Amino acid sequence: MWLPFLGLVFGLALGLLTNIQIPSIYENYLSIAVLAALDTLFGGIRAQLQQVYDDKVFVSGFFFNIVLAAGLAFLGVNLGVDLYLAAIFAFGVRLFQNIAIIRRILLTRLDEKRHKKNKNSIE
Amino acid sequence: MDIGQAYGYCNSSLHESERNDAEALTIRLGGAILKKNMYTRITIVLFIIGLMIAVQYNTIQKPAERDTRDIWAIREELAEEKKRHSTLLADIRSLNDVVGRYEQSEKTNLQSILNETLDRLKQQAGLTAVTGPGVILRVEPAPELVAMGYDIEEISPDLLTQLLNALFKYDAANVAIDGNRIVHTTAIRDINGKTTVNSVPLSSPPFEIYVGTTSFKEAQKMYSSIQASTFIDSFYLDNFNLVIEEPTEYLTIPAFDHPLTNDYLTEGKKGD
Repeated sequence: MWLPFLGLVFGLALGLLTNIQIPSIYENYLSIAVLAALDTLFGGIRAQLQQVYDDKVFVSGFFFNIVLAAGLAFLGVNLGVDLYLAAIFAFGVRLFQNIAIIRRILLTRLDEKRHKKNKNSIE
Repeated sequence: MDIGQAYGYCNSSLHESERNDAEALTIRLGGAILKKNMYTRITIVLFIIGLMIAVQYNTIQKPAERDTRDIWAIREELAEEKKRHSTLLADIRSLNDVVGRYEQSEKTNLQSILNETLDRLKQQAGLTAVTGPGVILRVEPAPELVAMGYDIEEISPDLLTQLLNALFKYDAANVAIDGNRIVHTTAIRDINGKTTVNSVPLSSPPFEIYVGTTSFKEAQKMYSSIQASTFIDSFYLDNFNLVIEEPTEYLTIPAFDHPLTNDYLTEGKKGD
């Protein structure tokens, strides 16, 4: 359980310590990629909690979403249409929805646990 | 999954019950491996996410400085650095010279060499009077304006500072304003309406500015440079005439006669 978390911490540390920077023209793409990645991550957590998690979907979704988002942004820049806004909107909405669902599931579980405990104490 | 299939294949010749057991084991094993695989993948994905977030953070926080100089500016900077380089080389040579002499006469006359160094440093700091080629600038009230009844006020410290900067830009070696030697801590400022140099009020115009140079040729160059500059006009705007006298071979510039304050100087570490 702690292994993924360790991966996140390790990635953050590596990025911050090596002080890697990307040229400012690619900043937009990276920000959208980060958003897509976060969206996929929370989607994965939600799926896990709903017990419909599929490894293939998760990993393929992660890479595909990143590439799609960056590609859309690239296309938008070349067409003069701010298509990256569409990606931000879509991912943003989904991020909030996913987090809301996660919250509800966790709340329900907490309630159930409390209920059980109460039942046990009564018995 | 592959391992599970392999197990299944190997066990095909076993008895039914054993096979059932083996299958159960396989499924459990497969499940564990699957779970481990899943965690590894999620870890990799999270690692990538972390890296991306960190890079994005870096890029936003510390945008890489863009070099906006054109070729000309870079060339000028290069010329400046070249000049610095050559002065440093000259410094190194003279210091090496001193070191050589120290080493040569380690026991015989160390004191005289030390004294020599001390004198040289004193001269650099402006603690000794210097005689050499130079130019005298005289600041005097413009006579026609005095005749017209204009008030001649104190010379402004800003104008004097600007003149001084220009003089040093034209390679002045030593400067004294109204007998006050300019050293690295000299302040030119207005104290209670009086323009002061080294905290000594200037005598009301006319007064003289002694500008010492390294050679007579430099003095001539200095003379032409000041003539060509806008300072004569600037002084006239303040009701003064700036008179530039012909360069002379022998000009004595007085020493700095106050104690030198160096509150913020600290001793450097050896080898720095």
